[in-house]
Amino acid sequence: MMSLGAPAASFLRPKTPPALAPERPWAWPKRTVITLENGLEVVLAESRAFPRISTQLYFRSGNAAVARSAPGLAEMTASVVRTGTLSRPSRRIEEDLRRMGAGLGSSSGADSSVISVSGLAEFSFPILELIADLARNASFPEGEFERERRQRFEEVKIERTTPAFLANERLRHVLFGEHPYAVIAPTEEQVAAFRREQLVEFYREHYVPQGSLLLVVGDFSTEAMLDQVQSVFGSWTAPNPRPPASPAPPRPSGRHIHLVDLPGTVQTHVLVGNLAITRRDRDWYRLTLANSIYGGAFYSRLVLNIREQKGYTYSPGSSVNALRQHGYFTVRAAVRNDVVAATLTEIFYEMDRMRALGVTPDELDSARNYLTGVFSLGIATQNGLLGQLSTVYLDELPEDYLETYRERIRALTADDAIAAARRHFDSANAQIVVVGDRAQIGDQAALFGPVSEYDSRGNVVT
Amino acid sequence: MSLAPRKVHIPVEHTTLANGLRLVASPDRSAPFVTVGVYYQIGFRLEPRGRSGFAHLFEHMMFQGSENAGKMEHIRLVNSSGGLLNGTTNYDITNYFESVPSNALERVLWLEADRMRALKVDDENLRNQRDVVKEEVRVNVLNQPYGGFPWLDLPPVAFRNWPNAHNFYGDFADLDAATLVDVQQFFRTYYAPNNAVLLMIGDLDPAEAFGFARRYFEDIPAQPLPPRADVTEPAQTEERHGEVTEKLGPLPAVAIGYTMPERETADWYAAAIVDRVLHGGRAGRVYRKLVLEEQIAVDVDGNADLIDTNGPTQMVTRIFHKPEFTSEGTVAVFDEVIEELQHKGIAQDELEDVKVKFRSDYYSMLEGGMGSYMPRFGLMHYLACFTLFDGDPSRINTILDHFLRVTPDRVQSVAKTYLVQVNRAVLKRRPVGLGGAQ
Repeated sequence: MMSLGAPAASFLRPKTPPALAPERPWAWPKRTVITLENGLEVVLAESRAFPRISTQLYFRSGNAAVARSAPGLAEMTASVVRTGTLSRPSRRIEEDLRRMGAGLGSSSGADSSVISVSGLAEFSFPILELIADLARNASFPEGEFERERRQRFEEVKIERTTPAFLANERLRHVLFGEHPYAVIAPTEEQVAAFRREQLVEFYREHYVPQGSLLLVVGDFSTEAMLDQVQSVFGSWTAPNPRPPASPAPPRPSGRHIHLVDLPGTVQTHVLVGNLAITRRDRDWYRLTLANSIYGGAFYSRLVLNIREQKGYTYSPGSSVNALRQHGYFTVRAAVRNDVVAATLTEIFYEMDRMRALGVTPDELDSARNYLTGVFSLGIATQNGLLGQLSTVYLDELPEDYLETYRERIRALTADDAIAAARRHFDSANAQIVVVGDRAQIGDQAALFGPVSEYDSRGNVVT
Repeated sequence: MSLAPRKVHIPVEHTTLANGLRLVASPDRSAPFVTVGVYYQIGFRLEPRGRSGFAHLFEHMMFQGSENAGKMEHIRLVNSSGGLLNGTTNYDITNYFESVPSNALERVLWLEADRMRALKVDDENLRNQRDVVKEEVRVNVLNQPYGGFPWLDLPPVAFRNWPNAHNFYGDFADLDAATLVDVQQFFRTYYAPNNAVLLMIGDLDPAEAFGFARRYFEDIPAQPLPPRADVTEPAQTEERHGEVTEKLGPLPAVAIGYTMPERETADWYAAAIVDRVLHGGRAGRVYRKLVLEEQIAVDVDGNADLIDTNGPTQMVTRIFHKPEFTSEGTVAVFDEVIEELQHKGIAQDELEDVKVKFRSDYYSMLEGGMGSYMPRFGLMHYLACFTLFDGDPSRINTILDHFLRVTPDRVQSVAKTYLVQVNRAVLKRRPVGLGGAQ
């Protein structure tokens, strides 16, 4: 051990960290929730530190709604939505955005599609008008569609060379089986088969006000913003979409290895997972706590073990992933090729250790503080506020979720952590995905169960 | 229909301790958080020759323990106070920062002072972090399609002076060669209070915050600072070219870098605007031409790191183009965009639109930055750069006006002077993997 620097001591300078000061009063910013006559739910929150607004319009249908007929169609639709309306060609849209100091994103996840715009508050009204124009009057110009489709085609090829993508793709297949959540991206062939009419049909059916969600945060007075929203979105009407039904995901029994072969790679992407719960489950807070102690924070058991003690990996971690209908728990680490078996051993050791022995009082205290503190940081930026609002209103959580989150976390006990670990860290039946060079890692992977092998296109290799 | 623009004024108070540590506080009591950063004026440009990657490896060592906060203690104390933390290594600075609920301000200052005063690490820590850094390089560069493109690929082609032109993440042989003595030497040389600035932003009273800072930092002794490394580049007289292989991704790509004007000159402000004229999203001229109109490229982006560099830097354009086009042909169309700006200049209304977006992006950066997960990260970052590079944190409130005063004539003259072949480097990234072009 070597000590660097000056040995100077000072009575003013304590050897132990100062205690935390009393917490400052904390309140979630006031928000206003109304539903327009056309069924559009509107949530506003003021955030006035900088003269900008950030807004998102969510539709409650995403790629899962069309996964059986056309995987990725929702995402393709969202990317073409921004390329033209009845009154604005593509170039005009982009120039209008710039003139309002605004940036636009349009995308789809499994459960929703979203148009996001943030820009200068002085242009809040024309920003809302542009969002409404895209939501109501997208024209899907043929040339723009062909261009976007070709770009998506090339992106899909790049995805197939990205280890983290391949790992997620394989795990979702394994965990969700026939359920639409199994597919996270289209193949090249599926992209090539998209037709403009399919996009138009998806748009007509799903980009509707009924049940959709408009979030606006930023530098405005709520009263004036309500008037603007009413005036821009009040006259919008469209028929309601039909909610699709989905088959239940499988419940795999026993560990199974899914090896995606990428010959010659210098690192292996390890991803372990099992089905868990949605945010609406009564165990959600408990699992959030257990995950934070396991691998959800920098100060967590997994990071301490396989990064800070063993140096296997740079950015290990675990997550609870909540989709609308189902959730799943994952553990990830990109490791050098000779420690794949060692990494899996430690991942399961840490799962089993928490299942058997629970957590210490210090860990419990640290994790509760971590979760409440990081939650609080989210109210200091417009993007943070949008993230919290979309969590509550998209997942239809209780109205007091944001106000009571910190109290609920603080009330958790060590028994809650061990109960969540036992229920949701399904060590015995976890599915193991490894993406790497089969020649270097195949034998290590086989130590953990039967192995299925795939190429990067998802074909089974024998 | 639009409202009058609201001007932003950031409150900034600053002072210097007896040991030379600069302090900057910016109160913002709108939410109960503080973001605290310590920025040292040492980056990968200034690391010792033959020790590529050392500045970044050293950054990892700063989380490995100090006199009164052992390994993982720093991380535990920040996380368990409800906060997030990180550190990054840049060209000319290395930063360490945390966002925490405001009741943890004094605690994080104690932590930052403890590691500025006395790092306490051993060989095992060094071996461990060397392994971690190698996995970082693998996950971000070697095992990632287009990893390091072009931030690692372009400097060795563009520049001639080793500080600007070497592998910033580090050759593995150089990482292996690093010793604990190197760590000690580097710490003593660069991690002195008189080579740093402490930023404190958010829900705080500046007088109280300065008092905490004095209490924990003021008796850390100043060190004689080495003369600043000579990072100047010899005059460039020819277009520079390079080619590297892409082992994973299927698309050919090309990067073009133009060396930028000197910091805080009239041309420098104009260059920032030129960058946005060319690269400002889909309305930017390069994306419009190559992706939307000619449809040669699948994706284009670009930017110039101006505010946070203090030495030779480039405006860099990245173009991922379709395999049926050559990289030469792609660059030729890119050149048409540049030539048009040189020959025809820019209309006043396009320039005004670019400036509106510039103003909006500046505020967005100050509010969040870093993906917004650390409030006011960008404000902290810019305040640090203005303090260390320009000696004046209050530029945070005045610099925007300089950018917004740039004239069409200056845009055109900067394009003519700097966006020329003898001031640029062109780097091709050629796919050789199974998925690549034949």
